[in-house]
Amino acid sequence: MKDSFGQKTLYNLGWIFVLGFCLKPVIFMLVTALGENPEYLAKGTDYSFTLGNFSDVLFTGNLHFMDYLKNSLLVSAVSAVGAVSIASLAAFSIARLRPMGRMMILFIALSVSMFPQISIVGYLFKIFSGLGWINSYIALILPYIAWVLPLSLWILVSYFSQLPDELDQAARLDGCGAFQVYWRVIIPIALPAVLSTMLLVFIFAFNEFMFALILTADHSARTVPVGIALFQGLHGEIPWGNIMAAACITTIPVIILTVLFQRRIVAGLSAGAVKG
Amino acid sequence: MLTVYRHNNLSGYIFLLPLFLFMAGFVLVPVVGTLLNSFYKDVPFLQSEFNGLDNYRSLGGDSSFWQSLRFSLLFVMAAVPLELLLGMVFALVLHKATNSKALLWAAVLIPWAIPSAVSARIWELIYNYNYGLANFVLTKFGLTTEPINWLGGSFSAFWAVTVADVWKTTPFVAIIILAGLQAVPDDFHESAKIDGAGFIRRFFSLTLPLLKPVIVVALLFRTIDSLRVFDVIYVLTGGGPGGATSALSLYGYEYYLIGDFGYASTISVVLFVIAMALSILYVRFSRFERE
Repeated sequence: MKDSFGQKTLYNLGWIFVLGFCLKPVIFMLVTALGENPEYLAKGTDYSFTLGNFSDVLFTGNLHFMDYLKNSLLVSAVSAVGAVSIASLAAFSIARLRPMGRMMILFIALSVSMFPQISIVGYLFKIFSGLGWINSYIALILPYIAWVLPLSLWILVSYFSQLPDELDQAARLDGCGAFQVYWRVIIPIALPAVLSTMLLVFIFAFNEFMFALILTADHSARTVPVGIALFQGLHGEIPWGNIMAAACITTIPVIILTVLFQRRIVAGLSAGAVKG
Repeated sequence: MLTVYRHNNLSGYIFLLPLFLFMAGFVLVPVVGTLLNSFYKDVPFLQSEFNGLDNYRSLGGDSSFWQSLRFSLLFVMAAVPLELLLGMVFALVLHKATNSKALLWAAVLIPWAIPSAVSARIWELIYNYNYGLANFVLTKFGLTTEPINWLGGSFSAFWAVTVADVWKTTPFVAIIILAGLQAVPDDFHESAKIDGAGFIRRFFSLTLPLLKPVIVVALLFRTIDSLRVFDVIYVLTGGGPGGATSALSLYGYEYYLIGDFGYASTISVVLFVIAMALSILYVRFSRFERE
């Protein structure tokens, strides 16, 4: 059945609205980053294109942007691999070995994911100060892993549960132990789900702000979001062009990942949220 | 073949062990630690002494605390309905999209994927008094003659923060609602169309009731998430002007910053209790919906 003219118009308007709403600020960021001076809108000066902001951010050592980027990529990648390793073992147990009390564990994990970060970070700061871990990668990676475990667990459990029981049974009859079933049968089959969960965890860790703000002190461990939030010009003014260039550089890899894996991200997020 | 599973309890728990250790070590222990801390008085950077419920009593007379609590609740009440409404519009458009799907999806996911501290910086520039996009658009269309100091007044700062947060988080709501939309079989709509139900009628008496479970999920996820909002506000207003946008997380953070862990913990516990109450509600609801 065909849609009426009115409905088509409505749909097209919706389409334009969604695109405009989502992209307008991003375009503004890009335009400012590529412009000589951010005042062009207000002062009516001509817009002049430059790559200067980008080269400042990339090559000026005392802005430390590249350090922040490196820290972020490293911390997020290690957190992603760590969290998914731990969560996939647990999800295998819950979905395939089905120990007693598994629903309880899932609900506890869910409620843990609702804790406000502020109720954790102060105490972590105390412990990590005592251990001399403040301003180190480990101070971010360990809490990040714990923090994203519930989401990873929910996604992987919902995926592992869909696999047919015969898989494990056949492997068992061939003499595989539980770990071998996990490693040789379930993980290879579930690899797309495992990788997309890693991607989600990566994005979450890359986004995280409060832990990174409180548990790091300078460019040796500080991550990009905190770096950009605290970005100051050399003379106290706010260097909008540089900030927006840094924002672009930070956003581009995330956007590429998102565009490439959009299906998986959507599937992962909705599995994590809705099936819970 | 069910017997295969019967003896797996032990190995099942062994596989769960790393998860338990991490959650206990880095979530549960700190939460308990924070709870205990809230009974102590900290002399910043010196020693602390047990003072029972004094911190909790101080909350009562602390007008900044009440202002923060009020802001957090108002923020939830403003942001969450907006996100649900927009998320619904997004989801309906995305659901209808066919050939332009990849482009639309990418566009919708972009705000979600940008780190919120970074997106807050973008919005900070949009709201900038001198050269922000917001004032440029308003003056260009002649809606105001004078530029508006968005982040300088308490009312406009509230909405500035809310809009920035809504921009960032609407995609998440849209994804959740879309997952629900896609679970609704097409024949429902076709038969309703044949029965002569119009677009609006079908939406309210067919789509919306079927979407109730996912809407409940999105509602509670977003409620708890916006209750603990931190980074958008930290970057955009720093809690200002005059504490007008100081969310509970931000208020607690300020006490951590000056080294008063006891009082900071007390504020965190209050936030924690509100979030827990909501998540219990959520678990109840989701069970109820499944029956």
